[in-house]
Amino acid sequence: MSIKFEKVSYTYSENTPYQYQALNNIDLEFAAGKITAIIGKTGSGKSTLVQHLNGLLLPTAGKLQVMDWEISADKKPSKLKKLRKEVGLVFQFPEYQLFEETILKDVAFGPKNFNATEKEAKAKAKEALKLVGIDESYYEKSPLELSGGQKRRIAIAGILAMDPKVVVLDEPTAGLDPQGAKSMMELFYRLNKEFNKTILIVTHNMEDVLQYCEDVVVIKDGSVKTHTSVKAFFQDTQLLDDLEILPPNVIRLKNALNEQGFNLSDEIVDLDELTTAIVKKVL
Amino acid sequence: MNNFTLGKYMPLDSAIHKLDPRAKILAMLVMLIAIFIPSGFEGYLLISVVILVVVYFSKLKLSFLVKAMKPMFFMLGFLLVINLLVIKTGYALVTIGSFVIYSDAVFQTLYIVIRLLLMVIITTLLTATTKPFDLTLGLESIMAPFKKIGLPASEIAMMISIALRFIPTLIEETQRIMQAQASRGVDLQEGKIKEKIMAILSLIVPLFVSAFQRADDLANAMEVKGYIPGAKRTRYKQLKFYLRDYIVLLVSNGLLILLIVWMIIK
Repeated sequence: MSIKFEKVSYTYSENTPYQYQALNNIDLEFAAGKITAIIGKTGSGKSTLVQHLNGLLLPTAGKLQVMDWEISADKKPSKLKKLRKEVGLVFQFPEYQLFEETILKDVAFGPKNFNATEKEAKAKAKEALKLVGIDESYYEKSPLELSGGQKRRIAIAGILAMDPKVVVLDEPTAGLDPQGAKSMMELFYRLNKEFNKTILIVTHNMEDVLQYCEDVVVIKDGSVKTHTSVKAFFQDTQLLDDLEILPPNVIRLKNALNEQGFNLSDEIVDLDELTTAIVKKVL
Repeated sequence: MNNFTLGKYMPLDSAIHKLDPRAKILAMLVMLIAIFIPSGFEGYLLISVVILVVVYFSKLKLSFLVKAMKPMFFMLGFLLVINLLVIKTGYALVTIGSFVIYSDAVFQTLYIVIRLLLMVIITTLLTATTKPFDLTLGLESIMAPFKKIGLPASEIAMMISIALRFIPTLIEETQRIMQAQASRGVDLQEGKIKEKIMAILSLIVPLFVSAFQRADDLANAMEVKGYIPGAKRTRYKQLKFYLRDYIVLLVSNGLLILLIVWMIIK
């Protein structure tokens, strides 16, 4: 089970004055069972990239392999629908896709499309809603009368109810309050650890990358700039400078202390570890 | 959906793009009237030639115009079938068993087809070569004399320009929601009738919700920026008629007069 891009390019509105190449010769392989962050500036092609993962966009050149599906420029794969069940894609601001009268029905919409019976779909919906922390008392309410954060949870539950092997999230915490964003990231972490789902997250938040992700892919101007482990990534000060990325606070604090001769280990990535290490040095 | 070209502006640099929007709007109106003059196939040939010349000068690709006409094809096919079944005058062209196709049915359909396609091309020419902003400015300027009889010209122009402005946005939004729902297993191409209705519902409800929200936001933003309906406003861009604009008006009006004369003589 793997996801592999081979020389994938994608051009929007080909052969018109609006022509725009969003992806340029992408070679990329995502490891199964990991949480990978996809980062890059606005307009770098991140969203275009993730829309290839479940066949919403088909490459204009090159090919990609997603599990058992081979998608290439000249060959449209059959059974794309099945692929969409296996790779759950959560769009930016997914709350705009809610439409059913009740929350339970909306979340059950996905499984029902993939031929689950009414009963199975409801059961899966309840499971997913529980997972995202929506209380039973909400089940019969309209999704449109909730707050933005709650709507987002329901939309994500709508994807999780399909029980995909891979969950792809396009800026899932954008516009959420810090508390909501944190519990959202913790949910994805749990999905990975407890349910063994492969998770890809498009994000701008370096703190989240450091805390929750294992691998990181940097996209720049439609090409893969680097693909490495999160730890290695935040140690490469030169690369971070090149990409104009401000490292997370913990890393900056550690680097500043090291400059003053603290000699702290590169392995340290979270605040608790850093505190312990400092205390050890000082005492 | 990606190929939706109706009402889309194409940023090219051509003689037609440079024309004054007022000249273009008036010429379009005159041409539309000309199309509805029953001047026979010779008249349509003349109009088609003029339009083709304009298309050539506009630097628009023919494929772009064909795409703009595409949504009409289904309707035109439907019309052909109805006409073949209903119209029973003229002489028999083809006889298949007991079913007879009459000449009037074919000719009348052909007339309507030509008229509609010419109309689509002319309106597409206007919207593809004129920025929405210029279009509004032109409309407002043309309607200005009617302000005296209480026509809210600026408001109408503003409404039209907002509508035009939001066509691409709404298309984008539709695509986004379609893709989001496709990710949830919606298949607009296949499936039973009931599933298809569900699929369309899953598209329309979110679209309406966000359209209303957008309208609300826009109204607030306009109010914050001090928009007052009916207030006197100045313009950064001033419209000016050049020789080329007079030529365009002369040619289009000349064509109209020619066709009227032709019709009377016939």
